[in-house]
Amino acid sequence: MEKLKYDKPAITKINAGMPSKFGLPVKQKVISEIDGIKVSSLMEEYGSPLFVISEKTIREVQAEAKRAFETRYPKVQFAWSYKTNYLDAVCSIYHDEGSWAEVVSGFEFEKALSNGVNGSQILFNGPDKSEADLIMAIENNACIHIDHFDELYLLIETSRKLQKKARVAIRVNLDAGIYPIWDRFGFNYENGDAWNAINRIMLAENLELIGLHTHIGTYIMAQSAYAIAASKLANLYMAIHRKFDYWLKYIDLGGGFASKNTLKGAYMPGSETCPSFDDYAEAISNALISSEIPHENLPVLFLETGRALIDDAGYLLTTVIANKRLNDGRRSMVIDAGVNLLFTSFWYNLGVYPTRELGHAEESTIYGPLCMNIDVVRDAIVFPQVKTGEQLVIERVGAYNITQSMQFITYRPNVVLIDMEGETHIIRKKESLETFKNSELNPKRN
Amino acid sequence: MKITDEVRISDNGFVFNSKTGDSFNVNPTGLELTKMIAQGHDFDEIKNIFLQKYELDDLTFEKDFYEFCALIKYHQITSPEDPLDFK
Repeated sequence: MEKLKYDKPAITKINAGMPSKFGLPVKQKVISEIDGIKVSSLMEEYGSPLFVISEKTIREVQAEAKRAFETRYPKVQFAWSYKTNYLDAVCSIYHDEGSWAEVVSGFEFEKALSNGVNGSQILFNGPDKSEADLIMAIENNACIHIDHFDELYLLIETSRKLQKKARVAIRVNLDAGIYPIWDRFGFNYENGDAWNAINRIMLAENLELIGLHTHIGTYIMAQSAYAIAASKLANLYMAIHRKFDYWLKYIDLGGGFASKNTLKGAYMPGSETCPSFDDYAEAISNALISSEIPHENLPVLFLETGRALIDDAGYLLTTVIANKRLNDGRRSMVIDAGVNLLFTSFWYNLGVYPTRELGHAEESTIYGPLCMNIDVVRDAIVFPQVKTGEQLVIERVGAYNITQSMQFITYRPNVVLIDMEGETHIIRKKESLETFKNSELNPKRN
Repeated sequence: MKITDEVRISDNGFVFNSKTGDSFNVNPTGLELTKMIAQGHDFDEIKNIFLQKYELDDLTFEKDFYEFCALIKYHQITSPEDPLDFK
């Protein structure tokens, strides 16, 4: 007699009167391949866990962002935010798409140079710029975005010593009508600090003020905040012209556009609620074009968006290690990728999906492999029953997870790029014991 | 382990526990297991029936069986036959 297909025995409590706020359960999403390559073959070749980056998605999303802004504003320049993902292979794609580099440390500056970026096309942000960093920036003719007065005076001193002109902008913090106000970076608009800094720079012999920069926050879901920020920078731009008869070259609205990930505690999924590039572009372009700035003197609009450009292009493939029942009967499972690889799991409900259709689903908690209680990748996710060894895909992990991943307890995994031709390439190798032996010293043994 | 007296199981997988007021749905294999437990079959008997009937290995069945038993115990669908019986 032919045997029947087996389904794991399951029992579900009926909660009458408490329907799901999203209505009836929808069909479980399955991700079985990425850019036409089977997840199972990627894992077979490169191991598990495994970061996968899709070049196709990077280029498509970048093109969408470009179209949104360039059809609404005459002069737009993107600068790739290195801290979001500074793997050389990733940065090269953005530079190939025409992006400049936006860096926030000497290390990132060196990385941009080594990626072939011309120094004059590097925007140097951040509160930590040493004298050596400033020398490197001046020598390479970079755009230095000054964060505070100590940096301003160090830059005046350094440029005097070098007897070279430094091209600078100031970072401005401002009230854009959202909370929290990021006032820890840059000079404040409302209390006059920014205006004082501008005046000091205009008096400095070796500093050439070429732009104004702001970055109002991260994962900003109100495009109207960008309109307020753009208007305030436009006011400063015009004030500089009136006082000094001088036109700046650019206004940099920074980044902070939301990706389609869903924030913890959000009522609706991010893919439904986050503004599109068109929404952001409409708000920013309208504010600049309808400002006092004459059309022939409109500044170049710089954008340093990172998260919204690359989040969708990154996947983390992972394998189920174990299934467990918690004390109160809740289902949980352990996977081989933990929060040390998924920094964004602390504020996003990351999408975790099976690679094939599976049966009965119930509310589950997904733990990582670390021997740490905080290693929770997802809680309260309705997930089908899986066996050990089942392969899963975590989507939208392209931003920050690789740069902020932490070597902890286990080796960090391979990162693979799927190129436009559908070929796969390791773009960062899995760590091994040698990785650590190469940089550690043990005085007792040497 | 026995099914609590207050529990009623319908043939289409609806389980009602009048002691707690809770109701449940069980899938077809869950229903089969619950009924066999109610009929007094022990683990080995149920295992043999399942292994003959389904594409299944003994270790998977064992894991799933005990997980299911823990769940129905948690929902007070089963109770120990004699709390003092340690044999």
